[in-house]
Amino acid sequence: MSNEATPVVTLAVAEAGADQADRYRSRWTWDEVRWASHCIDCYPGNCPMRVYLRDGKVVREESAATFPVYQDGVPDLNPMGCQKGVGWSRLLDAPERVLYPLRRDGERGQGKWRRISWDEACTEIADAILDAALETGPEALVAPSGCNLGTLALAGRGKFMGLTGGLTLDLNAEMNDFAAGQYLTWGMFDPVSSVDDWFHSEVFLIWFGNPNYTRIPHVHYLAEARYRGCEVYTISPDVSPSAVHADYHLPVRPGSDAALALGMCQVVIDEGLVNESFVATQTDLPLLVDPVTRRYLRASDVVEGGSEEQLFAWDATTGRPVEAPRGTLWWGDVRPALEGTFTVDTLHGPVQVTTVLSMVRERLADYEPERAAEVCGLHPDTIRALARKVARHRTNILGALGGASKHYHGDLIERSQALLLALTGNWGRHGTGMRAWVGGFLDGLITFALKTHRGPDEAAAIVDMRDSVMRDALEADPTLTEKIWAIEAARSGGGGGGFVPPVFFWYRFAGYKDAWERREWHDPSMPRPFEELWREAIDSGWWTGVDTPREDQPPQVLIECGGNVLRRTRGGTKMLLEHLWPQLKMVVTMDVRMSATATWSDIVLPMAQQYEKIGFGIPSCHVMHLTFCDKAVEPPGEAVDEWEGFRRIAEKLEVRARERGVAPVTDAWGREHDYGSMHVAFTADGMWTDQEVIIDEMLRDSGVVGSLPPEASLDEVRRRGYFRWESLGITPRAVGQATEPSATETFVPFRKHVEDGEPYPTLCRRAQFLIDHPWFIEADEHLPRHKEPPASGGDHPFQMSSGHNRWSIHSLNTANQLMLETHRGGPHLVINEHDAARLGLADHDTARVFNDRGEFRVPVKTSAAARPGQVIMYNGFDNYQFPGWAGPNDAEPGMFKWLHLAGGYGHLRYWGNEWQPCPVMRNTRVSVEPA
Amino acid sequence: MSTASSGSTEAPAAPGSRPKQQFAMVLDLNKCLGCQCCTVACKTQWTSGPGMDAMWWNIVSTIPGRGTPRDAFELGGGYRNGSPVPGELPSGREWGEAWEFDYEQVFDGEGYGKTFLRPKEHDGAEPGWGPNWDEDQGGGSYPNSYFFYLPLLCMNCSQPACLEACPRDSIYRRDEDGIILIDEERCHGYRFCVEACPYKRIYFNKERSVAQKCISCYPRLEAGVAPACVRQCPGRLHHIGYLDDPDSAVHRLVHTFQVALPLHADFEVMPNVFYVPPLLPDAFDEDGRFDPSRSRMPLEDLERLFGPEVQAALATLQAERERVAAGEPSELMDILIARNWRDLLGPFDVDPARVEPARHR
Repeated sequence: MSNEATPVVTLAVAEAGADQADRYRSRWTWDEVRWASHCIDCYPGNCPMRVYLRDGKVVREESAATFPVYQDGVPDLNPMGCQKGVGWSRLLDAPERVLYPLRRDGERGQGKWRRISWDEACTEIADAILDAALETGPEALVAPSGCNLGTLALAGRGKFMGLTGGLTLDLNAEMNDFAAGQYLTWGMFDPVSSVDDWFHSEVFLIWFGNPNYTRIPHVHYLAEARYRGCEVYTISPDVSPSAVHADYHLPVRPGSDAALALGMCQVVIDEGLVNESFVATQTDLPLLVDPVTRRYLRASDVVEGGSEEQLFAWDATTGRPVEAPRGTLWWGDVRPALEGTFTVDTLHGPVQVTTVLSMVRERLADYEPERAAEVCGLHPDTIRALARKVARHRTNILGALGGASKHYHGDLIERSQALLLALTGNWGRHGTGMRAWVGGFLDGLITFALKTHRGPDEAAAIVDMRDSVMRDALEADPTLTEKIWAIEAARSGGGGGGFVPPVFFWYRFAGYKDAWERREWHDPSMPRPFEELWREAIDSGWWTGVDTPREDQPPQVLIECGGNVLRRTRGGTKMLLEHLWPQLKMVVTMDVRMSATATWSDIVLPMAQQYEKIGFGIPSCHVMHLTFCDKAVEPPGEAVDEWEGFRRIAEKLEVRARERGVAPVTDAWGREHDYGSMHVAFTADGMWTDQEVIIDEMLRDSGVVGSLPPEASLDEVRRRGYFRWESLGITPRAVGQATEPSATETFVPFRKHVEDGEPYPTLCRRAQFLIDHPWFIEADEHLPRHKEPPASGGDHPFQMSSGHNRWSIHSLNTANQLMLETHRGGPHLVINEHDAARLGLADHDTARVFNDRGEFRVPVKTSAAARPGQVIMYNGFDNYQFPGWAGPNDAEPGMFKWLHLAGGYGHLRYWGNEWQPCPVMRNTRVSVEPA
Repeated sequence: MSTASSGSTEAPAAPGSRPKQQFAMVLDLNKCLGCQCCTVACKTQWTSGPGMDAMWWNIVSTIPGRGTPRDAFELGGGYRNGSPVPGELPSGREWGEAWEFDYEQVFDGEGYGKTFLRPKEHDGAEPGWGPNWDEDQGGGSYPNSYFFYLPLLCMNCSQPACLEACPRDSIYRRDEDGIILIDEERCHGYRFCVEACPYKRIYFNKERSVAQKCISCYPRLEAGVAPACVRQCPGRLHHIGYLDDPDSAVHRLVHTFQVALPLHADFEVMPNVFYVPPLLPDAFDEDGRFDPSRSRMPLEDLERLFGPEVQAALATLQAERERVAAGEPSELMDILIARNWRDLLGPFDVDPARVEPARHR
């Protein structure tokens, strides 16, 4: 890395008036330069920027572009950024900014505000929390999970909610980003390769994504891969903005993608293109299954007292069933038969068994290309040609980070895509795979919160403790690996690092019950009424320990920090305002700007923007860096960073609890919360009050753990601007990537599985395509298949698609004038030009969009690129950009797939951000008419 | 005067003297994702002063589309057979006004819940046009619809119609690099240059009564730093350098490989910004099969933009891609990939954070 301090060019000092052209030279000046990034969830972002300061104010920012070439022959990452990022400084003094604590001065949502002091605000909030805890319990305090949490917000909210015993609703369910099909297959939803690894791909499938809108800093790798011969396919109902630079666009019928993937699988198997060694080692496809019960053959079927989890293959050499090893993917001397019918002796006599692959082959008969083509609306030749290419080339599926999973049957789609990749050996090698999102990596964020004093010794002790617990576990069960141990520990932790799956909160208190119990909005193949399935899931104990809040724990205080729950909740603002809001005695929003949620709050607390606090981009392995954002200026007005905001509330909680004589309160798990020592605990007795100290400690701890270089510190990152990961560290999701990072190579996950034969964290310890849970069998979804999307929202002619917009990160920039001026200045509904004409809608006319759930009004944008019968409503616009403040979420019922309540089976257990039900909104049915 | 020729610098001498060397850009449209980073980078760098609210010196247009200002390429200007073509002055609405948004009323006002945040023109009217208004609307007919993105900025023409049209001689071509600049102290705001620019890339500042346009970030160029739009393009699509330098990427792409073409060479202004034309997805035949022999975009439309050379340029690109896919080397593909980002910047690869800025009194 270059020495950033030394100027290389010194510009001459010009005489005043010497040259008329100095007019512009004099505008390109600054006093100081600081590192910056946008440490919010413009995930995976992580763009290093620099802000330029003049007279103590930020004048502008610029992509830093200081990355080296990591791997010879692979383009570097420069310059990372997007239009939101390079214009971020316009948010600092924007009219949507909140500068002082505000108390509503009228009815909720009336728009009347009174400026109050921090002291007044925190006193009111503290009293409300104490009242709630005394009346109902700590669970009456709820924090929804937005994803715009920077480092200090994550740390502050995490510690605050942990100490108070409040409930934090699981991020992935709130975002609807959980890729259930990937989880079902791999036991984790989030294998992620680095963006520069895309360059290695030979076939690139943009499938459920629109990277030209959403992956602006990274998408150059597609163009570059194309110039080295890669073929790019965009698979989407509309000729999407990401089809512009594709070689082929596949105009699939909305929701039919599983049929396309399975059609390709059929071709691969039928034409003998299966990568047999990959399938044999990495997947459950050679395992034995009873075709009648559709269950794996288990040791418990064969010997008295045998294990439920010990499965079998057929050894073609010896002609006998053999136990599938659980501690490795390698078969040793066994030659597992991939297909066939065999007889095995069981406790109930001889039984005819077959392999999972044989069952898959049989099922795929429904998807031979002519039939699949009818479902997905493509030509059978297209399916055949692409299947052959995928089979012969390194293939990468680039989806949005959870795009398919926003469909009711997204799990089936993802399982079908994974099957295609499995049959063709397309993961664990450069240029291959599919992905969702992943977090973790910043180990110091976890360790610092556990410490009682500064310095490396406690961090080292935490690592030693972890390693010794792991060693003991691995000794006790030699089939475990670090990855499986870490993930199993998270699963049996009874929760997800302070999260609870929000499905129970939503059903009981948020108003979702009405929609979820409408059978006609679910899949027609849902075998029993929703209420019955719900009851069975709870009564079976599948969610015991995390099925909070109970019916008798209604919420009373809601703190929204880092999100905009009223804007984003599928099911609608109206639903939350009608059902949830009346139960809440105190609604607090901590934000930089007036969000929709802020406008309906009791108290709004002003937060510091980027450049006004220290933080890091959300760490992941999409970009193999921890990206630094420095504090360049003081926040305006009385804004503070989130850590400080929570600290002030904690301080007041402590004071008020003592004044009111509040004794410690016990939560549903039996943990005690002493509000009278809240500030002492929050700050570790005054140690954690200064963001410089906190961030420095996090970095040093990460250096101790080894995920960052040993010299990591605040001073060091101020020199470099970022660090590259040196190891995966200790967070389960990072460990789950199962590949050691390299300084000179792009990153692709699952190499330890593919290269070293390490097993997967699934029931069968392999990539699992047969899910023989009774519910899955009942639904005929034990194997991947296609199912039509249900008519969510009622019987209406249009299918509404969605996706992130181009002009905002979620709703953060959506009201910002600079961004609004780069498009039409507000939301729009994309509709095919012929559909619009038929409905009597001219371009930019306002349409009424409605269904059985609700309605909203929005100008249409007529387009040649939209598919007839499809309308696209890009999300992120705030409620107050729509007439009557009703947005598309008011028409999205927010159904979730009932099967995702299944549990008590192998890997189907909740851990933070993983296995749980998540509402979906793609393919909502709507009608459209001139308003 | 040649038409639609990629060898535009070889044409007769321009008004004013021929510069020592010519600064040029090649924009690879196969990499442009329409994100408007360049647009915003330019906006925050230069056009936030008085009278500049509605200025977008750099803008990305969706093609097919009407552009900025509306119908930008159909408003005259430039030359035909060597004679100036009369141009029209676009109205404020055709350019797109700087909209107003009533934040106060939305957040604090009486009409709360009844009003909503939306753009308004200066007279309160709802806008019907603006920069990038027809973003992503595209052309053709589903499923053979198509579009691509075209970034536009001052072309630093070798036959600059703006310069010739100015009665005040306030437009000049710099000797050291051939970039075209307006002397805002001489300019009296007659706007003949606006009419004369066939790409309509000159704005009029009503408050100061001067014409203003992209300045190729000359203060940055003077420090060896690439222009703001170039250096912040995440698509990595701008190659910059001196066209006269036979080793430069711009020279190689324009002259050696002839894959970078001027936009509307028929305007006869000899622009020094060149475009690598877009390879569009294959089209479908009536049965829904891919038909590589068809173009989604009618060839005559592509030729209208980039001249008859566009066919050969696209064929070269495709052939070289196939060579690389077959494992053969290709200098053209290597240049276009630009594995080291700094290679795009030619001699302008200095990190601006390492520049000690001038102190102007």
